[in-house]
Amino acid sequence: MRATQTATAAGVVVLGALLAAGAAQIPSEAGYAGVGPNFLPWLVALATLACGALLLWQARSDGGFREMEAPSGAERGHWPGFIWVSAGILANAALITTIGFVLSCTLCFVLAVRGFKSAEGLLDLGAKAWITDAAIGFAIAAPVYWMFTKLLAINLPGLTGSGWL
Amino acid sequence: MDTWNALLQGFATAGTPVNLLWALLGCTVGTAVGVLPGIGPATAVAMLLPITLQVEPTASMIFFAGIYYGAMYGGSTTSILLNTPGEAGSMVTAMEGNKMARNGRAGAALATAAIGSFVAGTIATVLVTFFAPLVARYAVKLGPPEYFMLMLFAFVAVSSVLGKSTLRGLTALFIGLAMGLVGIDQITAQARYTMGVAELTDGLEVVLVAVGLFAVAEALYAVLYEGRSKETSNRMSKVHMTAAEWRRSWPAWLRATFIGFPFGTIPAGGSEIPTFLSYATEKKLSKHKHEFGSTGAIEGVAGPEAANNAAITATLIPLLTLGIPTSNTTAILLGAFQNYGIQPGPQLFDTNAALVWALIASLYIGNVMLLILNLPLVGLWVKLLRIPKAPLYAGILIFATVGVYGMRQSAFDLLLLYAIGLLGLVMRRFDFPTAPVVVGMILGPLAEAHMRNAMSIGEGRWSVFVDRPVSLVLLVAIVAVLVLPRVLPRLLQRRSR
Repeated sequence: MRATQTATAAGVVVLGALLAAGAAQIPSEAGYAGVGPNFLPWLVALATLACGALLLWQARSDGGFREMEAPSGAERGHWPGFIWVSAGILANAALITTIGFVLSCTLCFVLAVRGFKSAEGLLDLGAKAWITDAAIGFAIAAPVYWMFTKLLAINLPGLTGSGWL
Repeated sequence: MDTWNALLQGFATAGTPVNLLWALLGCTVGTAVGVLPGIGPATAVAMLLPITLQVEPTASMIFFAGIYYGAMYGGSTTSILLNTPGEAGSMVTAMEGNKMARNGRAGAALATAAIGSFVAGTIATVLVTFFAPLVARYAVKLGPPEYFMLMLFAFVAVSSVLGKSTLRGLTALFIGLAMGLVGIDQITAQARYTMGVAELTDGLEVVLVAVGLFAVAEALYAVLYEGRSKETSNRMSKVHMTAAEWRRSWPAWLRATFIGFPFGTIPAGGSEIPTFLSYATEKKLSKHKHEFGSTGAIEGVAGPEAANNAAITATLIPLLTLGIPTSNTTAILLGAFQNYGIQPGPQLFDTNAALVWALIASLYIGNVMLLILNLPLVGLWVKLLRIPKAPLYAGILIFATVGVYGMRQSAFDLLLLYAIGLLGLVMRRFDFPTAPVVVGMILGPLAEAHMRNAMSIGEGRWSVFVDRPVSLVLLVAIVAVLVLPRVLPRLLQRRSR
């Protein structure tokens, strides 16, 4: 726990540093107000750095983060499941414009279901399970797609220009 | 009787078949997301924000309000029947509700929760009807310095009162403020933190941050840590209260309404404090103290559930009259208003009177709909609890995609969604509150504009914030919120020695 808390706190420090680097590139142009567009960025950057430093100190001290509510669930993460779900979301981002919303989301659904099943220790990689999940995913994605494109006229990418797939 | 006429007008607008249908749809979706674990009202409203591109404002605000409300009704069903609490606000309901359900009184617990929500929601709506225009009338007189102080108050309250650790709350707030900085500066049109990416010039979308932080982070958390957690559910019984149970519920509902309402109106965020307060009150006043924590006391369900709904309804006062959101969901509702180019604030009651009053009228209608949806039809909602986790979370990811992609049609946003999901995952694991991120991101740009306008009024002097009496009072209140919780216990301790 201590190492991960230190990493989290370090992440906040790095974020603060990046924000400060970004703030340095914003001109001040204060005008009448005396505070310009770079004022809040500097304030936020310095405050984030301060919070990060305090968190780092807490993480390295004996008690770790103060007044922590014990996180729910297992002690250790189930990373194979995490990778399946991440793959689903990222594949969706990569493919949505080429194979269209319905197919891309179906793929995301199938991959994510694999992840959750593996977390429950019920991973089934047989052809039948893939087909069933693909059918369920399609049965959710397609009506959603029709509702948004046909009923609400909101633009979602399709494989064809018909608005049905 | 200005208010009366305006309200009647509101009923006329909200009562058209189309708007009634939107209200019903909102209440239904709301109850469903309330019942389902892994998705709450904030996520649901965020995912459906793209409809603001097409649907007219009145209809979509009625729809969103229905979701906001409905989720509170649905949430109690889950917390009574499942042995894992859903929404933060129904955690207290779960304590007694669960005990009752285990002893075969699930039906009575569900009934007192639903009827209590209805009673508290309706009384709170009446109070909103009369108080909101009054607050708006006074709020017109506030200038940029006062607005800035009010927003600062909201920031401090949401980040230091809500979570356990002020440090983690403030960290979350600054992350949110940083997110709000991305894009074009409102006053000088200067690009900030865009890193040359065209998508970032328009700023980060509310949908993106909310859906990433809640839906995607929740899915990632569930797959990583909760795969083996088994949920057990309690048996349903007939939804019915005996005369004795009615007698015990009534006073609890009323007391809780008046505990919950004030907490919703001040920017102290959320319904956790009033629900706990109501629980403590009922426990103290009850003649059946032995039932608390053992067989389950009905007052312990009736009170917190009513307090929750009263507080939730009251959050509409700061949202509509000052444009200040005090919870995740109201922050996203503010985002919905902004999508229409409407800025909630005291002028809203003049410029968009029809919209506001239709929204308030729809709250009365929605409460009745929800009572019907949740009492006789509760059996239908219980079935939702049987959906297995894998397709449920995977399905939520599909809806997340619709919300985020539908808003801006950019695949880049889906990558950002994943990144924010990872951020949310870390925050969840290390007990960082998420509300400050969303409130900071949405309110940050407004607060900055008010601050810089105030500084222009003061010709560059910070004293502008202490020279004006209202602003000074607010400043003192902010310092009090930050300092008192730390100093007061020590002082009391010293005195008792």
